[in-house]
Amino acid sequence: MYILDHRCISPQPTFNGCFFTGEVKINHGNLYYSIEPDYTDLIPKNLLRRMEKATRVGIGAGIPLLEKYPIIDGIILGTSTGGFSGCVEFLKQIVQYNEGTLTPTNFVQSTPNAVAGILALMSKNRGYNITHTNLGLSFEATLLDAMLLLEENEAKQLLVGAIEETSEYNYNIDSASDFFKEIAVPSTQLLQSNTKGSVRGEGAAMFVVSSKKDNALCELVDVAQFSFPQKNTIQEKVLQFLKKNNTPLAAIDALVLGYNGDNRFDFRYDELAEQFNDTSIFSYKNLIGDSPTANSFALWLSCSILEGKEIPKEVYYKETDKEIKSILIYNHYNNIQHSFILMRSV
Amino acid sequence: MKHVFVTGIGVISAIGNNCEENLSHLQKGKTGIGKAIHLDSNYAKLFPFGEVKLSTSALKSNLNIAQKGLTRTDLLAFTAVQEAIQKANLTAQEISSENTAFISASTIGGMCLTDQLYQDANSISKSKEYVKSYSVSAHALKIAENYQLKGTIDVINTACSSSLNAIMMGTRLIKSGRATRAIVGGTDALGKFTINGFNALQILSKNPCKPFDKYRDGLTLGEGAAYLILESEEVVGKKNLYAEILGYGNSNDAFHPSSLSEEAFGVVAAMNKALKRATLSPQKINYINTHGTATENNDTTELTGIKKIFGNYPAFNSTKSYTGHTLAASGAIETVFSIFSLQQQELYPSLNFETPISPFNQLPILKYQQHQNINYVMTNSFGFAGNCSSLIIGKPL
Repeated sequence: MYILDHRCISPQPTFNGCFFTGEVKINHGNLYYSIEPDYTDLIPKNLLRRMEKATRVGIGAGIPLLEKYPIIDGIILGTSTGGFSGCVEFLKQIVQYNEGTLTPTNFVQSTPNAVAGILALMSKNRGYNITHTNLGLSFEATLLDAMLLLEENEAKQLLVGAIEETSEYNYNIDSASDFFKEIAVPSTQLLQSNTKGSVRGEGAAMFVVSSKKDNALCELVDVAQFSFPQKNTIQEKVLQFLKKNNTPLAAIDALVLGYNGDNRFDFRYDELAEQFNDTSIFSYKNLIGDSPTANSFALWLSCSILEGKEIPKEVYYKETDKEIKSILIYNHYNNIQHSFILMRSV
Repeated sequence: MKHVFVTGIGVISAIGNNCEENLSHLQKGKTGIGKAIHLDSNYAKLFPFGEVKLSTSALKSNLNIAQKGLTRTDLLAFTAVQEAIQKANLTAQEISSENTAFISASTIGGMCLTDQLYQDANSISKSKEYVKSYSVSAHALKIAENYQLKGTIDVINTACSSSLNAIMMGTRLIKSGRATRAIVGGTDALGKFTINGFNALQILSKNPCKPFDKYRDGLTLGEGAAYLILESEEVVGKKNLYAEILGYGNSNDAFHPSSLSEEAFGVVAAMNKALKRATLSPQKINYINTHGTATENNDTTELTGIKKIFGNYPAFNSTKSYTGHTLAASGAIETVFSIFSLQQQELYPSLNFETPISPFNQLPILKYQQHQNINYVMTNSFGFAGNCSSLIIGKPL
């Protein structure tokens, strides 16, 4: 599967391209919010006014691609919760008005499939349309789904992507499950903090994928996932994954790893990295925070690296002189849901 | 392309806690819709519901699972998964093979604990038991952990068409060679969140729903779960084959966030894709288990869509008149009911129908009909955000 184009809204200036001129935002606290673009030219005002953040960033990143590419045979999105704040706003109405007469807007918009639906509606796209919601593997499922559709000849080009929204509400819930750092550190020190917990980010990354190589930015060779791994499984799994794709370890030029500064779980990335010599290592959650679909940013970053864009020094975890033609992305969410993505230059 | 067969089914709904009980109710034309007893909502008095006839603690004690933080949505899923696995005689080794996928669906997830979620979201709860239980994927993670699943796991949320898409995804994984088996289906419990949402949209009926009736006035919410075991022809051996998955289609209506187009664009496209994938002409379809929610919008649109493709209407019913609308579970529950029709060679009556909708003037199946010749069945599911799906199953040859 080939990637033809992408758009990314994140806690970094990725949508306007300033990220590649070295402009990197330092975040503080446990929540990293998206730098949202001016939507004036992207979304009609009357629609924008009623949109929640998850919808806004999803439409903002997706619509430019749907407008640019006349052939899009389907829309495949991944998200853990979609517009969760809208969902809690609706809950608030239920509790405060004791199930009285409520307005349905929050309810309709908070369904995780709303964004893929609105993208279809705005672009009159009647193709395949689906939303994957398997928490930390939601985005990986969109890639698998797209690969299947292209193989089945059901599609030539597809829009795939992920959206995530952060709010005080999921902060409260995830705090109760010990997701966050108890002592906040600035993003520049996140990966060296050596304490438990991490930070949370949000945003949307969208990609146009194709079965054909023409005009491609890079190739997405394969994606794999596994949940609840045993000890040492990562080493076995990566060998199995690379072997399946006829790629020796030595052929990997760079690793893009999901280090999030949580000293309970970052050892997984070390375990993987130990198997590779002479590979550059990139990290990105120090810039955008963690989220169940943060791996969509990893894919966006990997595309940008393979395209030869000027990458800010903040994402270099370990630098080598090696020219980068192939990248292995490894990510996990809470050490429960794990995935690999193999990327190659064209 | 590899053939994909159904080798096990499990279902829990308002008309029974397993396949046998559900089948018996359909044969007797006996609905499960009535006054909700276990549901904690002011609307329990105002609206009828398709409630599962077991309390949450009874569901739990029937299962014997050690995990904590299990919600009603989780327990319904566990119940149906367990039955499907038993019926397919899957071994523990087969279940936790890397080649066994688990593709599930839910729209409410743990939000059926509406008040508890509100408390946790606002940091005013005393207990932490459910903090990892709310997402629509929570049930799948618990099932994955319990059964030590090692294959591809996915959860789909396309609102009311979710579990039909889960069946499609599992089938496609097997056809592509990425899995040899898949456990597929969906689960949703009743909860204040969805009840208030549908009430705010003014599409809940004060009476048991009347699908395809001129005087229908909205849907009845239900709850339940259904799972199917799908196996590739290479591994089915001499197992009892319930059905073959022949065709499937997914399309977006691209018309409105919460209603379908008058022209039935998405409905027609989904059914057409399913027929094309199955390489069947419309005339081959013996029966359609419709989406048939009994809302003004759905039933008119679905009849329009069926007319556009079929010309003459095949036999159809809406089994939501038994179970209520079980949202993410509905596609899988109705596929299990379609399998009953294939297996038993019989058709079940649509309930609460009196007057046909003009100008269609179509009557759903009104009587229990045995000794039918049923080879191919279509199941439809349509959801908010324009998500339309259609599935075709056939008698295994």
